[in-house]
Amino acid sequence: MKRLLITEHVEKEIDFDPAAHPVAELESGSAVVLLGGEVHRITRAGDLILVNGKQIRLSLADPRDRRRNASANGDSGRRDVKAAMPGKVVKTLVNPGDIVEAGAGLLILEAMKMQNEVRSPRAGRVAAVRVAVADTVASGQVLVTLE
Amino acid sequence: MKEKILVANRGEIAVRLQRGIREAGFSPVAIFTAVDRRSHHLAHADEAIEVDSYLNARSILEAVRRSGAVAIHPGYGFLSENAEFAALCAEACVVFIGPTAAAIRALGSKTAARQAAQCAGAPIVPGTDGPVTSIEDAKRVSRIIGYPVLIKAAAGGGGKGMRLVETESELESAVRGAAGEAASSFGSAEVYIEKALIQPRHIEIQVFGDNHGNLVHLGERECSIQRRHQKVIEECPSPLVERYPEMRAAMGEAALRVARAAGYTNAGTAEFLVDTDRNFYFLEMNTRLQVEHPVTELVTSLDLVQMQLDVAFGGTLPVRQADVVLRGAAIQCRLYAEDPANEYLPSPGRIERLRLPAGPGIRLDNGVYEGWNVPMEYDPLLAKLCVWAQDRPRAIARMSRALRETEILGIANNVGFFRQLLADARFQAGDLHTGFLKEFHYVPNNDLSDAELEAALAVLGAAAPAPNPAPVAARSRWSQR
Repeated sequence: MKRLLITEHVEKEIDFDPAAHPVAELESGSAVVLLGGEVHRITRAGDLILVNGKQIRLSLADPRDRRRNASANGDSGRRDVKAAMPGKVVKTLVNPGDIVEAGAGLLILEAMKMQNEVRSPRAGRVAAVRVAVADTVASGQVLVTLE
Repeated sequence: MKEKILVANRGEIAVRLQRGIREAGFSPVAIFTAVDRRSHHLAHADEAIEVDSYLNARSILEAVRRSGAVAIHPGYGFLSENAEFAALCAEACVVFIGPTAAAIRALGSKTAARQAAQCAGAPIVPGTDGPVTSIEDAKRVSRIIGYPVLIKAAAGGGGKGMRLVETESELESAVRGAAGEAASSFGSAEVYIEKALIQPRHIEIQVFGDNHGNLVHLGERECSIQRRHQKVIEECPSPLVERYPEMRAAMGEAALRVARAAGYTNAGTAEFLVDTDRNFYFLEMNTRLQVEHPVTELVTSLDLVQMQLDVAFGGTLPVRQADVVLRGAAIQCRLYAEDPANEYLPSPGRIERLRLPAGPGIRLDNGVYEGWNVPMEYDPLLAKLCVWAQDRPRAIARMSRALRETEILGIANNVGFFRQLLADARFQAGDLHTGFLKEFHYVPNNDLSDAELEAALAVLGAAAPAPNPAPVAARSRWSQR
């Protein structure tokens, strides 16, 4: 049957027969797959999968359901600076309207007792600071918008 | 009724201490904060009391009073090296399991320890005599001793509140950053300056004293593999000291001189930097049980927590210096919730899957469980994976095997990083220094072979509902689909 294989890097249509391989479920979330006598260890939670200790994101979809909302992020001059980790905003170092150099500190995030300075990925003007001191932010949350 | 001992800590060390306390015939009492209500360490206690912070001496002493505990074990970090807390315990007639407040005061602050070491005749790294009082003062001292310099928290440990400064232009922000981190981690913003040695090794000596004048050292630990000035792998013995065994006696003697001068009792660690000519410099005394104490336990066959309890209640040390024998080799890997491919950024979040190793020679000091949300408020240490074997090459092989069995899914972690590091030729040769990880480039290898991809698909396909449901055979553990 045709399935759509989606990983972090590729998205392609493949022929896939789920009946072809014996899967031994070992415990919730872990399994062993035998391919020609070779053991492959799989541990999985949703689309996060460890294959012989190597982590990937992998999911299968029906190609007929393919409706990818093409990312409408075309506002070319703007750039969102996102949190690379969850944390707490300890200090903001810029204000809207400030002109910053590439590498300039934008704000300081603290997680697990480590303070990390979030730096500007490029030169530009600060369009908005989306967070305030003492805010808790999630990984991927927009912190500052540059233009 | 059993006497109670309160553990004023969390995570893996709280578990380790509660195990030791129970084995010694006491009843362990845990404390926890609101974010730690589901923390793993509660399961190892008989009683658990909520506090507002692991740093609040007053609420911890209130928990001691409520539980009726006779003693407190502070673990590492938090209040473990806080002399005022030790003094408050003494006032409240609660045994503080650790050195006396006076010894902590004499050695616990890094600046005080440097002065004590100088008086005791142990070599120290050039730097400030006391804490930095102003940016101008910091600049003046740094110019005299020469860049690069290290800014360090006087009350610190574990790399927190520490910055490497290469040029004067970086100095001011580094001093402020270190002071801020020091204040939030240790409740003291004091920092001092030290010359940064080139490619030093970090080797430390475990010391132990009782209240009857006995003081011994239990050999060294090599802790040169560090990131952000925080250890990630520790070993006993040190591969360098194994090649030059006279170093063990010399460093051991220096450590004992410092400890003796301070009237030291209970467990402590003298940290040294060793330069490329094998000169060693006393760095600081950690007046507590170390994160890496298990490797010493594995190689000396001594139980350091048991000894801490014995000594705290007036017992004598179970060994004399001549009885201390190092046997075999032990390695510890600190499993952290962090992304080694992305500047070791902390990675709090939910542990979706957790598979931990077992079998010969494995010791696991674990503080987490599958399904737990690792909070952002605390240290990223999840567990300590330790192995023992007859010699270092076999310990490395055993650790590699154990890491193959270790799987953590859901949060970034350093298991894959350790697998590569242990396979590195320079690591295997024991050719280490504290900048090792700046030169070792970890490249996550997540490329699947065709067979591996097929195997992953087989599991995905087996789990996904088939578009045309086929008749399902009777459920068995081995279900052929």
